[in-house]
Amino acid sequence: MKPVAKMVRAELAAYIQSQLRAKGIEAVLTGGSAVSIFSGEKYVSMDLDFVIMGYPKRPKIRDAMQEIGFHQVGRHFKHPETLWMVEFPGGPLSVGKQPVAKIDTLEYETGTLLIISPADCIKDRLAAFYYWDDRQALAQAIMVVQENRINLSEIAEWSQEEGKLAEFKKIEPLLKVVKTSE
Amino acid sequence: MLGPLLNSENKERVLIFLLARGEGYATEIARFFDTDLFGIQNQLDKLEAGGILVSKKVGRTRLYALNPRYAFMDELKSLLEKAMSFYPEKLRDKLIMNRRRPIMRDKP
Repeated sequence: MKPVAKMVRAELAAYIQSQLRAKGIEAVLTGGSAVSIFSGEKYVSMDLDFVIMGYPKRPKIRDAMQEIGFHQVGRHFKHPETLWMVEFPGGPLSVGKQPVAKIDTLEYETGTLLIISPADCIKDRLAAFYYWDDRQALAQAIMVVQENRINLSEIAEWSQEEGKLAEFKKIEPLLKVVKTSE
Repeated sequence: MLGPLLNSENKERVLIFLLARGEGYATEIARFFDTDLFGIQNQLDKLEAGGILVSKKVGRTRLYALNPRYAFMDELKSLLEKAMSFYPEKLRDKLIMNRRRPIMRDKP
């Protein structure tokens, strides 16, 4: 097995998930690291956010993490060989007020990675933009759109269900901009 | 009122206060309900860790609010609003009728 220090983000996330899975804990990668993976690291997050499926007791998660060298510091878990910090934000796995419908599976040398889909990753960022006017989150959503095949009508439908269709209409041209550089 | 359901009276106090006022900080909530700060801060921490609240620093104060992105926020608000309608009128008014308009620094 590759040492933790040599793992790229997705490999480390898959490694952590595999360890948790071996202990009967299923987790899905979400948040900023999903943006990083789907944007080809154009956005660099230092957090690995996993939403736990089900209701395992916290000590069980802590013990599983400790077995692979992660130690709890407040709400985060840190490993001496990597700068990425792991967090387990409260569930449920949702985008805005709706449940995540599809979870993607990616295979790596270090294990299987469960991650929210690029479309849900965009919805997650847009929720931050819609509710908190977070322009950084909008920029991240655009990065993911540019690197993936996204059905924008799905994003529009979701925005409508969130009661944010007017806001979506305003930013829709930004999501349609085709990447020209590189 | 929702204490048995939420397993904590302080949790109900925090949620009701933030529903009524939009935002608040630990000392303010504890003072309002004349209860101990530790119990309120403890519930604020738990609710934030659970994704039900969000917080931000304003100067040296940490301000909390209900998280609009929480999946069950609409349903939670309905429940809290119903619970608040059962509160004594005086308490309900005190929760809602706080000054929100600006006040100049030197105004007595």
